[in-house]
Amino acid sequence: MRRTTRKAAGIVAMASVLALALAGCARGGGGDGGDGGTAAASPGITDTTVTLGITTPLSGTTAGPGTCTVAGITAYFGAKNAADGGVKFGDGKTRKVEIKALDDGYDPQKAKSNYDQLKDSVFAMTAGLGTPTNRAWREAAIADKVPQVLVMTGDPIFSDQKQSPWQLGFVPTYMNEGEAFGKLLAASGENHKVVILSQNDDYGEGYVSGFKDGIKDASNITVVKELTYEATDTSVDAQITELASTKADVIFNAMSITPLAIAALQKAQQLNWKPSWFLPSNTSSPSAILEPGKASAFPGVYSVAFSQSASSPAFAQTDEGTQFLADLKEYANYKDTPAFPHCIWSYQVGAILDQAFQKTTEPTRDNFMTALRGISDYVAPFMLEGTSVNTTQDGQPAVSTVVVQKYNGKGYDTVDSFG
Amino acid sequence: MGTFIQLVVDGLSTGSIYAALALAIVLVNQATGLINFAQGGMAVLSAYIAWWLTGLGVPLILGILLSVAVSFFLGAIIERYLMRRFERGDPDTAVVVTIGLLTLITGLCGWLWTYNNQQFASLFSLNTIQFGGASISVRSLGTIVVMVVMMILLQALFIGTKLGLALRAVAVNPQSAAFSGLPVGRLLMVGWGLAAVLGAVAGALVAPQLSLTPGMMDTALVYALAAVILGGMTSPIGVVVAAWLIGVLENLAAVYVPFIGYDLKVAVPFILIFVVLIVRPQGLFGRRTVVRV
Repeated sequence: MRRTTRKAAGIVAMASVLALALAGCARGGGGDGGDGGTAAASPGITDTTVTLGITTPLSGTTAGPGTCTVAGITAYFGAKNAADGGVKFGDGKTRKVEIKALDDGYDPQKAKSNYDQLKDSVFAMTAGLGTPTNRAWREAAIADKVPQVLVMTGDPIFSDQKQSPWQLGFVPTYMNEGEAFGKLLAASGENHKVVILSQNDDYGEGYVSGFKDGIKDASNITVVKELTYEATDTSVDAQITELASTKADVIFNAMSITPLAIAALQKAQQLNWKPSWFLPSNTSSPSAILEPGKASAFPGVYSVAFSQSASSPAFAQTDEGTQFLADLKEYANYKDTPAFPHCIWSYQVGAILDQAFQKTTEPTRDNFMTALRGISDYVAPFMLEGTSVNTTQDGQPAVSTVVVQKYNGKGYDTVDSFG
Repeated sequence: MGTFIQLVVDGLSTGSIYAALALAIVLVNQATGLINFAQGGMAVLSAYIAWWLTGLGVPLILGILLSVAVSFFLGAIIERYLMRRFERGDPDTAVVVTIGLLTLITGLCGWLWTYNNQQFASLFSLNTIQFGGASISVRSLGTIVVMVVMMILLQALFIGTKLGLALRAVAVNPQSAAFSGLPVGRLLMVGWGLAAVLGAVAGALVAPQLSLTPGMMDTALVYALAAVILGGMTSPIGVVVAAWLIGVLENLAAVYVPFIGYDLKVAVPFILIFVVLIVRPQGLFGRRTVVRV
């Protein structure tokens, strides 16, 4: 009896090995197939479908924004597939867009292995959130010539064409954002004492250097203290206490961790220190951060943005807003009103990819990259006045213009002066 | 001076969070001889239950009390139907099972309530009291007081009650305990249940501060383990004092020791552990295990 079982197991094992080998051969052969004059299609694209890959945090502390990055783009192409049967490409063929999303838990190693898993079955990688995670497979994507485009990181390396030929960032760089704050403050003309609390990595450094660029010619601004924190810290109470002792009237809080941003706002209130706040775009959500942090207590909370906020009450009153929220529910199974901007951002990524696909005349990754780099002055859905998409500028991400906004107790208003 | 007092009180308050988890770890360890890595996950689950109840309209304090009660049963059930299979075997296997349990609970919370940050109302207000130039929040004081009460209760349980004595007996030698008529299985269930209760209290204290997510306790667990090693596995008072020490020293070192600063402050508890383990391997307050030959 036992011998029969073992034998059976042996046969199954042999059969599996054979099946795998055959499958491998079939895939290898399929990729080369092309018909005569036209270029062979890249992986992940057929005459009727195109597949996009995403690796992003769907679990762990960054899962909130991460799930949003998948939801927005899924909603965009879900609606498009349903209404028009897909996107009409530059070669005249209409292709349904499919999305394969994997969870990396904000872990660089996992992101790399997700990429390895996806690279042969997707046409391009897109929309994924995170600097360390996107960096983890950037070099592999270059070596494999796989597009890694419209990724959600403010790290400028992704928009430098020499260093990153197969990459393109989506959101403004950390410097773009920091500089906008600096310029606004410098233009106020009044004297301000500023303190800075920043994350001890590229993220924080980028914001701080951008901010300093913005104020470099301004004699009315003095930075009186700069402190850092680690992304793994459970508390920044000590930092806020030390910063409060300077009695500065402005704090630039270059922070990317949601609970810490809330805690920082609360701690300052406990110490009865009420400066004006500058917060980066990804940690300034009215419902997720400012309300629990009781930000109305401060004279002003400023952030930068290029897109409308889905969590502001006015958003749901517009036709486009209602449609967006309905699409999110129907195609992406995302029931709540998103508290993070990333849902709208990745919806915009969908719209930009749509533009690029319309200009893609051959089903190759090469041709797609050229098409993607040729978009200028495109106003994607939900972009704020004064901002637009421009992919033609080397060294800049798809969106590099931001406007400064001030919290009004519910959502944000665009402002052009401080105070 | 104001800043100094502020840093000390803030450190005590953060330390109290580590302490609550550390106490739960000590309790399981005293009852079963195991280190339960799932303790943080169990605390998060309890916090989610309280949060879910308040969402249904249950008042906060009642929600927390109910979650504490539910947690007791959950802890007992986990012991009875999962851990018991591994308790008498290789301790390494049991530890791996608790790590698996942690992953499972975190995933379950994420699946049930998403990974988004949820706002958990605080039992204590954010109002502050002025003391020696420092602003001390009612929340910090509340957290510290709750911790002191729990520490005293636990110490009393172990030292002054029959239940505590029985729990310790079971941990030290389950076989002899069984021979002397102690209901070993039931005691183990009570041990796990009580630890889950401590975790639930920790969860309710931390959630308002860190905002509720499935991974909320991950970092706190590391510090809690540090406090357990530093304070000594056998002493509830020891681990609480150690947790406070970690919280306070971290804060003070960041501000007053220039070469440490905020970048290296995370290393402070671990340097402390090395030093203590070299000088006193049983921890600051722990008892040395003596084996008679």
